[in-house]
Amino acid sequence: MMSTVPSELPVTAPIEHRFDPYVDNGGTLLSIAGKDFCVVAADTRLSEGYSIHTRYVPKSVKLSDKTVISMGGCYADCLTLTKRIQQNMEASLVAPMWYRHAHGKTMSTAAIAQMLSIMLYQKRFFPFYSWCILGGLDEEGRGAVYTYDPVGSYEREACRCAGSASSLIQPFLDNQINFKNQASERRELSLDQVLRITKDSFTSATERDIYTGDYLEIFVITSNGVELQKMGLKKD
Amino acid sequence: MDALVSKYAHSSASPLDSSEGFSQAGFDAAQQFALPMFDIPMVSNPIDFLRAHTDPSAENRIRIQHGTTTLAFKFQGGIVVAVDSRASGGSYIASQTVKKVIEINPYLLGTMAGGAADCQYWERELGRRCRLYELRNKERISVAAASKILSNMVYDYKGMGLSMGTMITGWDKTGPALYYVDSDGSRLKGERFSVGSGSTFAYGVLDTGYDFDMSVDDAIALGKRSIYHACHRDAYSGGSVNVFHVKESGWEFKGNFDFDKLHWDYQAQPKGQIV
Amino acid sequence: MFLTRSEYDRGVNTFSPEGRLFQVEYAIEAIKLGSTAVGIKTPKGLILAVEKRVTSPLLESSSIEKIFEIDAHIGCAMSGLTADSRTIVDHARIEAQNHTFTYNEPIKVESVTQAVCDLALRFGESARGEESIMSRPFGVSLLIAGIDETGPQLYHTDPSGTFVSYSAKAIGSGSEGAETELQEEYHSSMTLLEAETLALKVLKQVMEEKLNATNVQLASVTREEGFKIFTPEELQTVVDRL
Repeated sequence: MMSTVPSELPVTAPIEHRFDPYVDNGGTLLSIAGKDFCVVAADTRLSEGYSIHTRYVPKSVKLSDKTVISMGGCYADCLTLTKRIQQNMEASLVAPMWYRHAHGKTMSTAAIAQMLSIMLYQKRFFPFYSWCILGGLDEEGRGAVYTYDPVGSYEREACRCAGSASSLIQPFLDNQINFKNQASERRELSLDQVLRITKDSFTSATERDIYTGDYLEIFVITSNGVELQKMGLKKD
Repeated sequence: MDALVSKYAHSSASPLDSSEGFSQAGFDAAQQFALPMFDIPMVSNPIDFLRAHTDPSAENRIRIQHGTTTLAFKFQGGIVVAVDSRASGGSYIASQTVKKVIEINPYLLGTMAGGAADCQYWERELGRRCRLYELRNKERISVAAASKILSNMVYDYKGMGLSMGTMITGWDKTGPALYYVDSDGSRLKGERFSVGSGSTFAYGVLDTGYDFDMSVDDAIALGKRSIYHACHRDAYSGGSVNVFHVKESGWEFKGNFDFDKLHWDYQAQPKGQIV
Repeated sequence: MFLTRSEYDRGVNTFSPEGRLFQVEYAIEAIKLGSTAVGIKTPKGLILAVEKRVTSPLLESSSIEKIFEIDAHIGCAMSGLTADSRTIVDHARIEAQNHTFTYNEPIKVESVTQAVCDLALRFGESARGEESIMSRPFGVSLLIAGIDETGPQLYHTDPSGTFVSYSAKAIGSGSEGAETELQEEYHSSMTLLEAETLALKVLKQVMEEKLNATNVQLASVTREEGFKIFTPEELQTVVDRL
């Protein structure tokens, strides 16, 4: 006997196919500008959900003797974006020429800052899932921190923390660096003080944020160039 | 409509064309005024894609900075522009020091409400076009023309998720001028505008205290006070107040006023008469 | 003079057996018909001066434009086909503005010059789908003057897309006489005031008409003021100094 209804086939719910290219790999980054120096720091843990994929993967990259970029968010996007910035510092966006070769100089921190904003906005409709902090020295030799949202709005600030523990560290920085709600006078912080604040920020955040830990990389940018310091954080 | 269709057709067919940023290697002078190209995801509906990943209810996701109170009004001494300085991503205060007045050039100002990046980018593009206009025509562009350029540019992306509510102000041959332009395509000429989540509060104070014949100092005080009250009642506004004055010679920055200080200053003052 | 070349000078992109591109060479010849332009570089800034050919007393000399602003810190003087110079100058302006847009810094003078020269050879048939915008070489030569972080810069470009840096340079119909004069009078420690005077003095010697404030145009680029075209009054005071 023939049946018109194929009763053997199970009826299943429709499967949703969604393009979901983003993943949050966690991690925290921070940058503080001083009078004649800039500190860029980030932890090195890379996690996805509740598992830690690796304990040592640098989030910051030295772009020039005056500039360091640090990124958090989706590691794949961060890798691509970093690579593109480095490429554009050699190769200009506007014409098929290389910036260094076209203009015979290394890009200044301010020039990289503006370019990064435009590169992020270029992906306005397909954003990079990344928080960027650009730290370095400006043309006068003063410390400069530029911070970005994922689609390229940017601002120069005195300090900034981004990433998974940003809401833990940023209030501490507001208090210690910007002297918010403090009775004491605003004063210029020395490199040593800034480094201590940076280390305290990360050791504290490691206590309370599951995505922060393992190692801390600190880039110190002065007129002598970029120096990298490493420090252990808790690995649990 | 055709513009939208061709944009997607292009993007899914050859997404790499624009992936390296500016594809304006061409040397055709006229082409340089074509709109910049943006990367678009290769999915059937890019608008839904973007919405799904930037929506506040989305689980993970891309938080674009929002929230604001801005205002600008004309009076006998020109135009006063006053703004707050808070940016929030969801309930987190992303910044208390945002510059929401964008200095397009020495005699044109734009304000920022909505997506911070949208305002920054398009007003920068506007600045480039105004400068080229100036070089070609040996005179400054009118505020009417500048605001129309901005309006036309963002209208091309209507429905694609841009968020921008801006006031373009300046002084040209016709005197002080004030336009409101937004990403839906509206462009309104007016005497008095307030834009953003705190605008209703600001309007209340502004309309109460407004008088066309007021002095420059009074106008600046009114702008400051209107933003102050918006910061006080709107959770998405705050930080500090930035004030600008647009005069015949161009704009002038009138200062940054910390909200907390303003609050206690105003508390100490005797209450003015309203009724 | 050119009779023997007739076989190979029809196509803009055909080399002659001796290895020459005649159309480009002819374009360079076109400059020699143009009005004279002079550029002088000093440690403090640069001076550009051009001759305006006022061919009729009915012609309004203020409508003749041979010096252009490229950006606040760069200007240029041209000789040759005025219409061609418009395309080139517009390209230079866009290039300068795009640079500022992307990098938030003024473009270098050499980079603008390079951009102009990239344009110079985009004639004839196009390769790789690039659009060519001209069917022939540009018949224009420029003196590009500007100040950037490397100091005052003066570049000369020609229709072949070659550019060279000069301390002082003259182009156009009177260029030979003008250059002889420049070589004699120029020294590297000149003041801007001396350069103004020298530029007009050189023009005066090579111009057919008697030089006055209406048949020359003068511009300067300085660190303080950037690019500036002299007003008729300012020009008159320089003319009076001669």
